[in-house]
Amino acid sequence: MVFEKLFMKILNKERKPKQISILIIGLNNSGKSTIVNFFKNKDVRKSVSIPTIGFNIEHFENQGVSFTAYDMAGIGRYRNLWEHHFKTCNGIVFVIDSSDRMRLVVVKDELDLLLQHPDLKRRRVPILFFANKMDCIDALSSVKIAAGLNLEKVDNKPWQICSSNALSGEGLQNGVHWLTSQIKECVLTPPDKEVYD
Amino acid sequence: MSFKRDKKEEEDGNGNPFQNLEKTSVLQEARTFNETPVNAKKCIHILTKILYLINQGESLGTREATECFFAMTKLFQSKDLVLRRMVYLGIKELSTIAEDVIIVTSSLTKDMTGREDLYRAPAIRASFSITDPTMLQAVECYMKQCIVDRNPSVSSGALVSSLHLSSQSGAGDVVKRWANEAQEALNSDNIMVQYHALGLLNHIRRNDRLAVAKLVNKLIGQSMKSPYAVCYLIRIGSKIIEEDYANGTTTISDTHFLEFVESCLRHKSEMVIYEAAHAIVNLKRTSARELAPAVSILQLFCGSSKATLRFAAVRTMNKVAILYPAAVAAFNMDLEGLIADSNRSVATLAITTLLKTGTESSVERLMKQIATFVAEISDEFKVVVVQAIRTLCTKFPRKHSILMNFLSAMLREEGGLDYKTSIVDTIILIIEENPDAKESGLSHLCEFIEDCEHTSLAVRILHLLGKEGPHSKNPSKYIRFVYNRVILENATVRAAAVSAMAQFGASCPDLLNNVTVLLGRCQMDIDDEVRDRATYYLTILNSSNPSLWKNYISSNDQLVSLSLLEKTLKEHLNGALTETFDLSLVPKTAPTPTVTEDAHNDAMITTNSIQKTPRVTREEVNVERLLQIPGIQRLGPLHKSSPSVQLTESETEYTVSCIKHCFAQHVVLQFDCVNTLSDQLLENVRVDLLLPEGFIVRHVIPCAKLIYGEKESTYVILEYPGDVASSSATFGATLKFIVKDCDPTTGLPDSDEGYDDEYMLEDFEITVADQIQKTKLNNFVVAWDAADSEEWVELEDTYQLSAVNTLQDAVHTIIKFLGLGPANATEKVAEETHTHTLLCSGVFRGGAEVLLRAKLALADGVTMQLTVRSTDTEVAEIVSSAIG
Repeated sequence: MVFEKLFMKILNKERKPKQISILIIGLNNSGKSTIVNFFKNKDVRKSVSIPTIGFNIEHFENQGVSFTAYDMAGIGRYRNLWEHHFKTCNGIVFVIDSSDRMRLVVVKDELDLLLQHPDLKRRRVPILFFANKMDCIDALSSVKIAAGLNLEKVDNKPWQICSSNALSGEGLQNGVHWLTSQIKECVLTPPDKEVYD
Repeated sequence: MSFKRDKKEEEDGNGNPFQNLEKTSVLQEARTFNETPVNAKKCIHILTKILYLINQGESLGTREATECFFAMTKLFQSKDLVLRRMVYLGIKELSTIAEDVIIVTSSLTKDMTGREDLYRAPAIRASFSITDPTMLQAVECYMKQCIVDRNPSVSSGALVSSLHLSSQSGAGDVVKRWANEAQEALNSDNIMVQYHALGLLNHIRRNDRLAVAKLVNKLIGQSMKSPYAVCYLIRIGSKIIEEDYANGTTTISDTHFLEFVESCLRHKSEMVIYEAAHAIVNLKRTSARELAPAVSILQLFCGSSKATLRFAAVRTMNKVAILYPAAVAAFNMDLEGLIADSNRSVATLAITTLLKTGTESSVERLMKQIATFVAEISDEFKVVVVQAIRTLCTKFPRKHSILMNFLSAMLREEGGLDYKTSIVDTIILIIEENPDAKESGLSHLCEFIEDCEHTSLAVRILHLLGKEGPHSKNPSKYIRFVYNRVILENATVRAAAVSAMAQFGASCPDLLNNVTVLLGRCQMDIDDEVRDRATYYLTILNSSNPSLWKNYISSNDQLVSLSLLEKTLKEHLNGALTETFDLSLVPKTAPTPTVTEDAHNDAMITTNSIQKTPRVTREEVNVERLLQIPGIQRLGPLHKSSPSVQLTESETEYTVSCIKHCFAQHVVLQFDCVNTLSDQLLENVRVDLLLPEGFIVRHVIPCAKLIYGEKESTYVILEYPGDVASSSATFGATLKFIVKDCDPTTGLPDSDEGYDDEYMLEDFEITVADQIQKTKLNNFVVAWDAADSEEWVELEDTYQLSAVNTLQDAVHTIIKFLGLGPANATEKVAEETHTHTLLCSGVFRGGAEVLLRAKLALADGVTMQLTVRSTDTEVAEIVSSAIG
């Protein structure tokens, strides 16, 4: 009896989709909520998004992994709230408005702060950059943004930058696909823990 | 109140699972919130613990709360219904302590506008606890929708949240814009929505009397479905009527509304019926015609099977009993039935009501009935009973022996200090007011102190024994009781006993020898204070000089305010010590009123409201301020300060009120000024007086600077005219000042240039009452008879008081005009009598004593025969002429 129960427990655990929490951050008006909106089922999508105050929690699935996305507010006065979630997140999505050349320096500041944060500094957390609003005429290319942000200096975390258009969904799947595979690799199969898959 | 506590204790006995929670360990557990996936069941339990702790009064620090709050925000990822609702509660509780609570705004907004109805209402309420007025604009459109939502709980939640919000500063104007939506919600079918909508509408308009009246009038016309709303409507309406009545205006809508309240007596909901009856009873303008149906409703409720209804009815009856004893008297039978009620609080209220309305003959029977259950009720209710007995004592002085026996029986039983104090107060009151009861009262008290665990009470009783004992028939009887204290009690009580014994020695020459022997023994006491007192009294008693005895032992008339004496002595010690201390500089004060004020409390079942703050008289407060005026000492001690009088309308550019401080030959006028114009700075503010003949201005102290919104004072010192007769007079007054325009935000003047301006104030009077300090004589008759001598002047005259209609009004008027203190409880006129005698006493400035006897008779107005006895002819004249 007892063994049977134990076995069932292990079996259940195996089948259950993995719960992963990811943090979606970036300056205000960069398209974070719109990106999250795109991943939700078609029937619950919103047509208009308004500036987020605080944060929103959304759930979606991708390649058998269940994501809990913390869609954080990007407005200046709420950015200090991001760090409350650094400790518990398994992956970070950093959204950049590629048409906003002016504020690229602000993005760099925020990114540097994030990378230096004690909760993240030594952790191997995958970071996905979305160079969003690629449809805009004066949008910077993802390569230029990567250069502008000095991304090549980031060596202890896997990162990837994708151009995207959150309105049409272009580029989003690619990015998330990469993120999922990275997470599977470095979170769900940590070297010192037993592997179920 | 007390049952609640009892009930809680019972629960505790059964083992409250949360009883031994500790804050730190619970907060530790709260880290579980961060785990993924969320364990809903566990988190709900932890949240419950946190809420329990907060509601038990445990205080969380800002950091703790913030940490806990952010952990809690993680729980939004769970889809568990119960957990989500617990999170809402948690947000509400922590929102005031934690920082950055704004973080959950979007999460809540999502739930507010989502499809899950179970989330929406609580999300609205939670969201308002974190919203500050600056963000209100953003949620405004949601709110408007929510108020008119079809779901009643959503609509209610929105209405109540708006109500809370509108009392926050800055949010009121935004909420005002939602009035149309609230109006729409008022037509809802749901009883709660209707009630809450009415609440919000009333709150929005609360500053606009006309608008409220209009709202009430409109709603009276439609019959509202919700009994809660109707109750609320009755309350709003009664408030309007009460205000109108206080202003002396009665409008047509008031009459209209009164009819509505009467019609509510026939409403189908018991709650509304009770509310209507309650309103009618409490309205000051209620006449006997309107009262009758209300009282019969209450009578009906007394027989109800629901304990709450019986309680409410009896409680209101109790109120009626104070205001209109005659109206309740008819229903004594119903009330007597309730004495045996299984609910003790109902029974207690019924008894006390009966005691208030009962006739002299029924007292004995009632007391017997009380005795049967007094042991079963809690201390709070016992105090209520004692207060009822106290009023009974003043009403039926002849029944003192029964009441006194009952009280002493109660004294012997177990009880807390409050309860014992109220009994002792009552007995002392009886002794003071009723000479026949003195002997038996004193012996009951003697018996009590034989076994009294409360030091404060023992000291009071010993003091009383020292005061009254020597004048009784057999003083030696009390000495034994007093000396027993010296042997058996603690130091404080021993000291009091020594003082009491000295009183006997000073007042009864035949006991002097015995007392000196006893005091001699006390000199061996181990306590310093006791030995000091014994030595002090012994020396004076051995001096064989009766005038010394009188001045230093038996005369109790020390009227110096002790707190002020302490203060002046301290100041003297801190000073240069070049001058000797002058006791006459310390102001004498009126004796503080003892029990008369508390008597109003007895209508309430809660006795927690009795104030414990030490009473400070107006004079004591004022002296501190006055002492800052240079040279004020030369005027001698302060005799009396008048209450503050407004010299301007309350909402004008500048508001000024005046306090008259009366000294022996001078009056100090204190003008408290407030500048309500934010763009003006006033300088050199002073009051220019139009003096009547005889008054001389001695000094003017202007106020250098009057900043916007701050209260500052300017003083004028006047000397009274030589003849007392012209000392009550009317003054014209003008406020004079220099205006400087200034920046409203910084308060700094725009330029150094100002211009002179003045502002007319209303005239004010110095009346006779301003110059008389009331005294409280324990035995007026003795003083009155003693004043029938050469040194005293007597004036007698008869007046027709046309302005008053009842004896009680006449008594109030006399006391108000003369500022005298009533004696022997004669300020209360018994019901249904046509004659009354008012006795009162006071001291005129300069020290002339005034005794007054007013015999009043009721017949087409009030006729009064006024007899004034005073030590000064002029004073007697001015007092007797003040009434006419």
